Amino acid sequence: MKTGSKLNSLGSKALVVLVLILILQPLLYLVIRASEKSGSQIVALLTREKTLEVLGVTLSLLAIVVAVNVVLGTSIAAGLHYVKLPVPRLFMVATILPLAIPSYVFTYTWKALFPSMQGLWAASFILALSTMPYMILTVFIAFQKIDLALIEVGRSLGLSKVAIFFRIILPQVRRSISAGALLSGLYVLSDFGAVSLLNLETLTVSIQNLFKSSYDRGAAAIIGILLFLAAAVFISFETRLKGRDFESRGNEGFQNSIKRVDRNTLSLFTLSVLGAYIICAVVLPFYVLITRFLENPSAVSLSDLISAATATVGVSALGAMMAFALSLPLAFLISQGKGKFTTFSERSILMAHALPGVVVGLALVSFGSRLGGLYQSIYLLAFAYAVLFLAKSVASTSSSLALVPPQLKEVAATLGKSKSKIATEVVFPIALPSMSLGILLVFLTAMKELPATLMLRPTGMDTLATQIWSAASISRFNEAAPYALILVGIAAVPTFILTLPRTGNREEAGNEIEKKVRFL
Amino acid sequence: MTNYATLLLRNSGFCNTLPFLRCPGVQRVFNAHRDGERVKKSYLAASIVAAVLVVGSLTWVTTQSESAGEKVEELTIYSGRSEEFIAPFFDRWEQESGITLNVRYGDSAELAAQILEEGQNSPADLFLSQDAGSLGAVSVAGLFAELPSSVGQLIESKYIAQDRSWIGVTGRVRVFAYNPEEVRTLPTSITDLTKSIYRGKIGIAPSNASFQAFVTALINEKGEAFAQKWLTDLKENDAKIYLKNSAIVEAIDQGEIDLGLVNHYYLWEVSTALGREIKVKNGYFNSGDIGNLVNVSGAGVLATSTKQKTAQELIKFLTSQSIQELFVKQTHEFSLIPGTRSPQDLPDLKSLGTPLVDLGELVNIQRTQDLLIKVGLL
Repeated sequence: MKTGSKLNSLGSKALVVLVLILILQPLLYLVIRASEKSGSQIVALLTREKTLEVLGVTLSLLAIVVAVNVVLGTSIAAGLHYVKLPVPRLFMVATILPLAIPSYVFTYTWKALFPSMQGLWAASFILALSTMPYMILTVFIAFQKIDLALIEVGRSLGLSKVAIFFRIILPQVRRSISAGALLSGLYVLSDFGAVSLLNLETLTVSIQNLFKSSYDRGAAAIIGILLFLAAAVFISFETRLKGRDFESRGNEGFQNSIKRVDRNTLSLFTLSVLGAYIICAVVLPFYVLITRFLENPSAVSLSDLISAATATVGVSALGAMMAFALSLPLAFLISQGKGKFTTFSERSILMAHALPGVVVGLALVSFGSRLGGLYQSIYLLAFAYAVLFLAKSVASTSSSLALVPPQLKEVAATLGKSKSKIATEVVFPIALPSMSLGILLVFLTAMKELPATLMLRPTGMDTLATQIWSAASISRFNEAAPYALILVGIAAVPTFILTLPRTGNREEAGNEIEKKVRFL
Repeated sequence: MTNYATLLLRNSGFCNTLPFLRCPGVQRVFNAHRDGERVKKSYLAASIVAAVLVVGSLTWVTTQSESAGEKVEELTIYSGRSEEFIAPFFDRWEQESGITLNVRYGDSAELAAQILEEGQNSPADLFLSQDAGSLGAVSVAGLFAELPSSVGQLIESKYIAQDRSWIGVTGRVRVFAYNPEEVRTLPTSITDLTKSIYRGKIGIAPSNASFQAFVTALINEKGEAFAQKWLTDLKENDAKIYLKNSAIVEAIDQGEIDLGLVNHYYLWEVSTALGREIKVKNGYFNSGDIGNLVNVSGAGVLATSTKQKTAQELIKFLTSQSIQELFVKQTHEFSLIPGTRSPQDLPDLKSLGTPLVDLGELVNIQRTQDLLIKVGLL
């Protein structure tokens, strides 16, 4: 029995190593290409004014977006939680819906209204719009779990409302704010669509430009490594910032008796922020998409639309399934409890998650072109999605596996079931429904992916993302609109499911959404 | 005896999510303790959608491989020319030849880089590029096959690579596009652009292949030191950087800048795209100035292609008299056949006094890119 389980875990470790090797191909590519340059060339490239400027722009963008998210995202989450809203579910859905809208669609809808938008502030604005839901969702959950007893203690000690907010409420949500900052920050670092449409040269745009300069793939790789390092530093910074865990002591029950704020200046403020956000991130983009579409409904033929939509759904679903399959061995290990190896693998996958689509695309062009028929096939593109979004899949799969009550496994074992039988007959069936949610989320993200899709899609195949991109980049907004509407429409389905709580109980609902948010 | 299916059903979360399922004797794992148990809507929805996706995508995958398995004659093209303007020509050839074209559209320089990265394994048969520089990059890497003299017979020889690795298809002139209401003094030479009257008013697209081809020509004509000084001065003169020529023309129309270095046909492209007149005109430098460089779009056949003859036929088609005239009419480009008339409203190439630049020389873009990186424009 003992040797059997050892073998079993050895087997899954071997599988995990295999997955890691596959996943870290892009990093390997960067190192190989960068090593073609001499040491002095690397130093010269890294220290030249332009590189520093681009790095500065990227970090400023990161700082601004994260700061805006922290302030406004927290306010919106607080508003959703504390302010009495007419139809709370509707507001909830409206604040999460922007997750379904890719950053380049935001950009093009806004540019359609204000054609002269460009540069750092415009990019900060657009990226704040697209990443705000991450912050709102994570912080909203934290508000639901706040220990009310502590607030009562604060009140009885005569603290002002402001003091209560800063000294009692904020420390309890700090961890979630920092998690939201991590999610939105990584998004900003790897974004390509919005910044290039807004003419802002960040590290991702710089990599693309250097790659285009046919001979200088080495330079592109060096900047790629720089971006990778920036992301790694950001991740470790976030881990430090988040600091000690402030565990609430389980008085969430009080949440049911929470008094909703009715009217005062604070609720007015949060309401106006919430309203402004919904107008900027949902109403306006949809208004533009729909009016542009109606201006010339036949700008794009129905067959083009259908084929792009089918291709998008097909290849994204394939990618989501591949990510799921690749995530299984590690998720299994994680659900068994953590060891050094598991932690190491988890971190490596998070690091790989920091690689932008441009780099993954490049690496897979280089390695993939040796694979004959697989190159520029839907399978390689789906694999690219799996590489890009494996971290999400691992998170969702492992927490789904953790849902299975250990007692059930024990009971099955005492009934003489073998390990593999327990897995197929007990663990997997129970975890499956929640795993499918994880698959959907990878699917959602893959549908919006642009740079790797541009490089790796089969010749002649257009996806919704590439069609929007090619139309919008030559200012043909009328042609981009129908594609964008379909993309947002399809992406809204998994997004909507994300906000569906399964019970009427607030506390349960909070835990539920929290589980889902971890997959983001 | 419990069979596997019932067991799976019993143990699956579906018993909890799908109220209509009969699962006798199921221990409700999650919510058994709660009265008035509610359906786990989200899991239910997620499961259904995921199941639909799995089935749907698998079906889709099989249709994909079926169509790939069919052995129709087809040619794979990497086209740096945008679908909008070249697709009608491809369609016509498909109809005439009965051969299916498999076209990958993209940016010329990106596609050239992709071909270089793919090396011997490139699936492309033919590369159609917006500019000579990208063709040169592929040519220097030895990835093009030599074209026989029967291909491109009518084309003027200076628009054909000396080693016959590629053949020019259409001509385009570098111009400065400008807003006639704002620009009082027109530049007569590129050296005027570094003057203070144009400070902060000029747009350039240094990552764009056509700008790089122009810089290559500048280095060849005037030397690297001159080019470096000019680029540095232009940057110091607060020239605005754009990613595409079309973005420059739009920016002029929006009033962000007053003039920009672009190819001549972007005026029509942008105004067609916007569906209205734009307040931008083409301007030309003095006759013979390097700013009036003539570049070409052109095509070459990949050495690794197994369909050399078919690919050559397509180049013959694109360089035939009737198709060249169609380019002049529909895409406002210059024909490379001597004696064909210029596009509407445009002076002919001779009167522009286009500088004598050997397009074969434009292959040396490595030096250009190093220079652009050095002065910080890339």
